[in-house]
Amino acid sequence: MTITATDFNLNGSGSVTQEPETLNKIPGNRAVWVGIFAEMTEFALFFLVYFIAKAHYPEQFNQGPLKLNTLAGTLNTFALISSSFFVAKALASIRLNDPKKSITWLWRAVFCGCIYLVIKIWEYHWNVDQGITTNTNNFYTVYYYLTFNHLLHVTWASGSLLWAIRQLKSGSYTQNNHLGFTAIACYWHMVDLAWVIIFPLLYVLR
Amino acid sequence: MTNTNNTFSALDISWFILMSITTANAFVAETAEPSLAITALICGSIAYKGRRIMDYFMELNHANSTIQFFMRSYFYVFPALIFLSDLFSEELAALTAL
Repeated sequence: MTITATDFNLNGSGSVTQEPETLNKIPGNRAVWVGIFAEMTEFALFFLVYFIAKAHYPEQFNQGPLKLNTLAGTLNTFALISSSFFVAKALASIRLNDPKKSITWLWRAVFCGCIYLVIKIWEYHWNVDQGITTNTNNFYTVYYYLTFNHLLHVTWASGSLLWAIRQLKSGSYTQNNHLGFTAIACYWHMVDLAWVIIFPLLYVLR
Repeated sequence: MTNTNNTFSALDISWFILMSITTANAFVAETAEPSLAITALICGSIAYKGRRIMDYFMELNHANSTIQFFMRSYFYVFPALIFLSDLFSEELAALTAL
């Protein structure tokens, strides 16, 4: 079925015409969704490990979050949510044929990714100063394993945003051809989604 | 024009809601004593935040129904598992003891 110029609201970009790429279709491409589901499965296994470890060591998991830096976790959540918002705005801008604005939004998203990395590294140093290491107890082992794994995802996803900026600058992504950009955006949102579960598990719930 | 304004607002409102829920979660982390009610509240907030990001930022509200189904299910199943693992923690420990 060919979907042509019909008005529908998509990703905050307003009444978009000739934008059929995600309407009842796979956003981006199949490959990125294989990757996204693989990553989500990986995080799902980590979450199952968390549930089992918490059931066996309830005291450690009750006390653990109290010693973590909640402010750092919260600021990181702000950074990731904002970066997802900026990526959505960037995608909306290219659909409205405004690559310069799209690049500006993407730089803001990359900046948020960098803020996340800086805060996380600072937090690890702060933890060590408080005597919290990977071997302190089972809660902190799970904490370091989950957060460091997530940090790696943020790092390479930030790299993919830089790639999108390069493609926009070179004119490879345009109003009519930006499926790769949509795929990168979906991957970035997946990284944000994983943190939506990680943050309450490690910093909030006891 | 009106349409454009409305949908831009939808993104902005989503960002504001997500930031507000995160702030509320942080407040809970700092002040509330652990209880099943708090766990249920947090699980609800995870499900809502996930849905909001998927629908408005990731565009899944218009996308392929299979992808929509699996992604949305993830954010129903895991908040539910968080709650159930808290509710039945002793049973889970017994079930997974080596």
